[in-house]
Amino acid sequence: MKQHLNRTITRIATETLQKLAFLFAFPDDGRTDEGPEPAVTGRVEFSGLFCGSMVVRIAASALPELAANMLGSADDAEIAGEAQQDAFKELTNVICGNVLPAIAGDQAEFLIGVPATLCATDAPSLIRRNTAECVVRLAFDEGFCDVHLFIEGKLPELKIED
Amino acid sequence: MAVNVLIVDDSGVMRSMIIKTMRLSGLQLGELHQAADGREGLETLRQHWIDLVIADINMPVMNGEEMIDHMRVHPEFKDIPIIVISTEGSKPRVERLQAKGTRFIHKPFTPEALRDAVKDLLGERVFHETAS
Repeated sequence: MKQHLNRTITRIATETLQKLAFLFAFPDDGRTDEGPEPAVTGRVEFSGLFCGSMVVRIAASALPELAANMLGSADDAEIAGEAQQDAFKELTNVICGNVLPAIAGDQAEFLIGVPATLCATDAPSLIRRNTAECVVRLAFDEGFCDVHLFIEGKLPELKIED
Repeated sequence: MAVNVLIVDDSGVMRSMIIKTMRLSGLQLGELHQAADGREGLETLRQHWIDLVIADINMPVMNGEEMIDHMRVHPEFKDIPIIVISTEGSKPRVERLQAKGTRFIHKPFTPEALRDAVKDLLGERVFHETAS
């Protein structure tokens, strides 16, 4: 099941980066570490058929382009830091919102919380402290994007769509 | 015919994306109002004439589904067309929203999906001739 989970999250994360922000990412299976610093980490909690959280970690250098592409701004336009964070939180939200029905089926209802960015000191310890059900590592021109799925308790047997 | 639109989404970036998409689609925009949650959305409806509401579901304070429930029982707001743009993928919830007369668009959305939803609800007349 882990392989299915990995494939599904990889597909959804790459599609979301592409459709939402025109960032063309690919799986970076060879990388086993958390990716180079500096990075920004976002987290969104959910509850329903199962409970947990999704943590997305992205290269800080990618944020301006992510936000500019989502807003359709010119390449040289300066995007405020708040808007960059907002764009990243929306990316986290959309990945989570699309992953859950793909792994739990479209009949399952989930309550998805409000995404938040974590401060630089909290993020690594949160990722280390919790054992992720699945970690997907992606790379793109501007950097990297890692997606961690944390489940409270045991994930029920699911028919995951690939 | 210019359309007064209220966009209810807690993400400022998403509100900007929706506004940009509406402008590019050739929609004749009148007044444009924004709210960050359902409660702000209802407050805006009380203060301004709105022809179309575009709302997210997952929001703090009051979510989109609660806001829609309030609108549907309010004598002045119950007939306002609503488009829901959300990451929501649960079939029961989407069907429940559609049963309340809303159009549902899944995030990430395409400009065509938004344009088609507006056209379905308000007709061709709300678009500039060159864009339709």
